[in-house]
Amino acid sequence: MNSFLQFLRNYGIVVITITLFLVLAITTEGFATPRNMRNLLDQQSTILIAASFMTIAIIAGNFDVSVSSIFVAAPLFALTVENSTGSALFAVIAAVVIGLSMGAFNGVIVTRIKVNSFIATLATSFMFFGAGFLISDRSLMRPDGEIYQMIARTRYFGITSATWIALVVVIIAWVLLSRTRFGRNVYATGGNREAARLAGVNVDRVQALTFVMLGAAAALAGVINSSRSISAQPSDDFSFVFAVLTAVIVGGTSIAGGKGAIWRTVTAAFFLAFMTNGFNLNQIDPIWQRIIEGIVILIAVSVDAWTQRRSG
Amino acid sequence: MKQNVQAIAPVLTLTRVSKRFDATQALLDIDVDFHAGKVHALVGENGAGKSTLGRILLGVHQPSQGQIKVDGKLVSINSPADGGKLGFVGIAQELSLLPDRSVIDNIALGREATNGPFVNFKKTKQQVLDVMRQFDMSLDPDIMVGALSVAEQQKVEILRALGRDARLIVFDEPTARLATHEAEQLLSLVRSLADSGKAVVYVSHFLEEILNISDTITVLRNGEHVRTGPAKEETREGLIMGMTGRDLQHQFPPISKPEKPGKPILKVSALCKKNEFDDISFDIGRGEIVGIAGLVGAGRSELAHAIYGSTMPDKGKIEFCGEDIGLAGIANSIKSGMALIPEARRTQGLILGRSILENTSLPYLSRFSSWIGLNKTHEKRAVDESCSGALVKHAGLHKDIDSLSGGNQQKLLFARAALGSPKLLIADEPTRGVDIGAKRGIYNLIAKMASEGEAVLLISSEIEEILGMCHRSLVMARGRIVADLSGSQLTKEAVINAAFSGV
Repeated sequence: MNSFLQFLRNYGIVVITITLFLVLAITTEGFATPRNMRNLLDQQSTILIAASFMTIAIIAGNFDVSVSSIFVAAPLFALTVENSTGSALFAVIAAVVIGLSMGAFNGVIVTRIKVNSFIATLATSFMFFGAGFLISDRSLMRPDGEIYQMIARTRYFGITSATWIALVVVIIAWVLLSRTRFGRNVYATGGNREAARLAGVNVDRVQALTFVMLGAAAALAGVINSSRSISAQPSDDFSFVFAVLTAVIVGGTSIAGGKGAIWRTVTAAFFLAFMTNGFNLNQIDPIWQRIIEGIVILIAVSVDAWTQRRSG
Repeated sequence: MKQNVQAIAPVLTLTRVSKRFDATQALLDIDVDFHAGKVHALVGENGAGKSTLGRILLGVHQPSQGQIKVDGKLVSINSPADGGKLGFVGIAQELSLLPDRSVIDNIALGREATNGPFVNFKKTKQQVLDVMRQFDMSLDPDIMVGALSVAEQQKVEILRALGRDARLIVFDEPTARLATHEAEQLLSLVRSLADSGKAVVYVSHFLEEILNISDTITVLRNGEHVRTGPAKEETREGLIMGMTGRDLQHQFPPISKPEKPGKPILKVSALCKKNEFDDISFDIGRGEIVGIAGLVGAGRSELAHAIYGSTMPDKGKIEFCGEDIGLAGIANSIKSGMALIPEARRTQGLILGRSILENTSLPYLSRFSSWIGLNKTHEKRAVDESCSGALVKHAGLHKDIDSLSGGNQQKLLFARAALGSPKLLIADEPTRGVDIGAKRGIYNLIAKMASEGEAVLLISSEIEEILGMCHRSLVMARGRIVADLSGSQLTKEAVINAAFSGV
């Protein structure tokens, strides 16, 4: 019984995701088709990019809600650069640099001034959203050239560049977290900040770096999103960060820090995508979709809490 | 107010009580009686089952087999709430108080006097003051609990238990976190609780303490009941033999003489930090074990942290291997060959929830790291070697750190330190909360490190440890070094005298 619980605790999300895939593949026409899968991968790319680095930030012991605002603001900076220089490359570089800087700002506030990360990034969110309105002069922006829209929409082997970029970003995050000294320091810092500090880990720098990387990832996700829709507009819409957090948390990465993994987040992102896709193909009323989605998240989190308690 | 309780019939009787946790047999066929008006001590090594037994009485754990009788009637105590209804309460080592609420609020928690839905503050306060008066324990009732010392917080916890008309009180290692004089106060309080007719169950590692205050002693070993008998028939040596099943004549290993003093490894001069320590100067040479004795709060750990670089001193100089390292920080200290085994294993030492491997290699990851990432094979080999060197018993390096016993966790911190082959090891209370068998293992490790030429700074509140392990010992009191004792001057009396000077 105990080893079964242990297995469920470790790999429950994988079991559930595969089960859901198989059930939908059998019951729902048009689900397990190459075309549907390609679309699904393309749609998930922005979430995967941000969620990978969100996982790292949460394992290091912090929360970042400003991801939405960077996701919205960075492409506006990118398009401003694109419109004035005509270069898509400069646009991407500008967006990533803006993302890095916004992340660094979060990191400094959290690690130097010691503001709780949730509160700090909530406050900086408004600043970043505001910066988006300023740079775009409150209006929708479009790229001048043709190249900007190619960033996300070029196909290699039938799969969009957005998906390929997401794949590369996920692999980078995974290697960083599981194969490097930085990754170990992230786990140690989130697991026990004081013990990590006494073991010589520069805990402030580790935490600040997770914000910087997440800022860059969110900016890149924003650029891909705008490239896909060939436009960007300022808003103060927080919904992106909730989608990202849902994937991280349903995957089983602990909000308390110190525990989690990239593969968990990726699996959960697909679980959530399969679910939504299954709903749509079966023409379930979107209102009910939301309610069911909420219930599923609650169940996922409860099962996690329950198995932790039983085997802890 | 001493009630004359003639305890003939026991309050509580355990008959053939056993407890299994999955694969581990924590207790096997225990038969014990607990009487009102008596202090009944449970002794044993870590893992002997004494805390488990205490928790079964409180309803935290349920026995797998066996009977519990209260006043001769069969009961089952299925939760701490059930235990509370029977008047069984526990005072744990880790206190469970609300630091931002007042003493009154904490003591009355859950039993406030009310008028309908509203709390009657005046009456509640009166009730709390009554309990305080009854047991002669005075505390400022309106002060926030977080502002109290550990000893005072423990009083709050005890008062809370007493306010619930406790019949049986279980103390689990209550003095582990207290300074000597605070511990003495607590012991006399425990004694007076028994004298007023409560049954007291007392779990502790400190044998002198147990021999002093108990009426009855039960010895446990590996979950089995060795014997129960009157305390006055027991001796320290007899208890150790009962607990370990072997004679521990030689509690300390032989300590080799340090090499001829050359240049000191560590030289501290006129180090000051406001409210922590003042004008500290000393040095340590190769292979030397130097103790720092003193009361809790004398500034010993604070000094250790300043030397290690985790806090910045206000003034003074720290030279390590001839170099001034005053403001360089922890990472630099580790790199230049210092290692710290911190006082609080679980909060300052270990990353709980991570593996043995990750916990051991954490400070020295740069050694296994290159631009392509960590070399895990290399890392594993080095960690495995240092873990076997420190005799850490484990079921695989990838296992969670929580799978180790307290003594093994402590040895793991030594394995971690050994991984860096440090020139100076600072060990802050390295044997606290560790059983006698593991203690000897840790002493061996310290002796071995010193014989290999490492300097060891050993902070300890156990005077026997200082006397048995150190070539020489500093004594701190109120943030200052008040004595530097070595050779024939290093005696128990001299250390105690110095520790209490200026207090």
